[in-house]
Amino acid sequence: MNAYKFLRTDGTGVFTRFAWPLPDRGPGEWVEAEPDPCRAGIHACRLGDLPYWAGRVLYEIELDGHVVEHKTKVVAPRGRLLRRIDAWDDAFRSGYTRYCADRAHEIARENGIERWEEVIEPSIPEGPALLGFVAARIADAAGGADAYHAERARQADWLAERLGLV
Amino acid sequence: MADHEHISCQEVVELVNDYLDQTLEPDETSLFEQHINFCDGCDWYLNQMRTTISTVGRITEDEVPPETRDKLLSAFREWKRT
Amino acid sequence: MTEAGLQDRTAAEETELLARLRAGDERAFEALVERHYPTMLAVARHYVKTRAVAEEVVQDAWLGVLKGIDRFEGRSSLRTWILRILVNTAKTRGVREARSVPFASLAPQGDEPAVEPERFRSADDPFSGHWRAYPGNWQRLPDEALAERETLDVVLAAIHELPPPQRIVITMRDIQGCDPEEVCEALEVSEGNQRVLLHRARSKVRSALERHLDG
Repeated sequence: MNAYKFLRTDGTGVFTRFAWPLPDRGPGEWVEAEPDPCRAGIHACRLGDLPYWAGRVLYEIELDGHVVEHKTKVVAPRGRLLRRIDAWDDAFRSGYTRYCADRAHEIARENGIERWEEVIEPSIPEGPALLGFVAARIADAAGGADAYHAERARQADWLAERLGLV
Repeated sequence: MADHEHISCQEVVELVNDYLDQTLEPDETSLFEQHINFCDGCDWYLNQMRTTISTVGRITEDEVPPETRDKLLSAFREWKRT
Repeated sequence: MTEAGLQDRTAAEETELLARLRAGDERAFEALVERHYPTMLAVARHYVKTRAVAEEVVQDAWLGVLKGIDRFEGRSSLRTWILRILVNTAKTRGVREARSVPFASLAPQGDEPAVEPERFRSADDPFSGHWRAYPGNWQRLPDEALAERETLDVVLAAIHELPPPQRIVITMRDIQGCDPEEVCEALEVSEGNQRVLLHRARSKVRSALERHLDG
């Protein structure tokens, strides 16, 4: 199956610091790992998982072997990077961050929880992953776990559409 | 905790060593890593804990005192003979 | 990946040392003594009163190791097996010395937050549990700040001030590189208690470093 993967700007894994073979006029080399979810294995995002892991650079990845699906990620024994998603750049990240901030204000106002508003603007310098969380967290404060997941799904739809991944 | 949608910074600092020792459940690990991904403060805290561990690791260990070494070696020769 | 590799290498070395020891190779014996002495002494000190008695316990334990070496089957790590002999020796000795061995007190006591609660937004704040002000980014520190002798002294002092159960666990895990199973076996604590003791110990040493580095 094909999925997505965020890396650091230097092409290494966000948590493992593993140096991924990057695509260059064709897919990158296959990488193999023992699938022990969360400890080893190739971790990747389905479209709906993108908001949870928003990072610096984004790739499409091909996964092979038995893919284990988790709440917010998938883990496979083998994977290779197919292409960089060029649309995910700094300007796009800023635009998405702004979208999340605006949504956060909107949810706070609609639900009469303005106390939350002071959290939003100061979080913006930290980027899209935090603002996505803040918006979903405010939804949670207003409507519980279902509202949290609904806001995450809304963020994923926004991303998929504007990155041309639908 | 597996039912939670997210964890707070105050929870992160209590889970950080279990994360480093890889003893968190898969869902807990996901929540922990999501938090580290969006929160610079906790990312730096995690790095502080890694630095702490590596600094502790630089403490030199006790050496075997010469008299202990001598006693043990004669005990070893004794053991070899029997 | 690299960690497992290191452990494999250590295990391979031990198998080789063990074979040479059984064949009566004195150098192999010396190498094993050097490798395991610091941990044995630290564990022995946990069970008996004085360093002098702990030294004797370590020596007696090595005699036990030599006596039993042909019976060691490799079902546990060599270090675990050696530590088990050591603990039995130390306990016999500890009873004789009428030391009140604080076995029960190894269980972590009470609640000890890793970071002062005041540093997080309070429960009545919408963003409760979030940092009020972030801790420092130590990656921006000059390398010398961590390398200098003073920093190491701060760490030593912090470890010295820990309650004994936390001190022995952080010593075994982070100075001597024991794995959790070896700690549990040697100190006769549960895996859960081992984790809590290590967590509290590391958290306190981090706090001491933070006071030193960030003022």
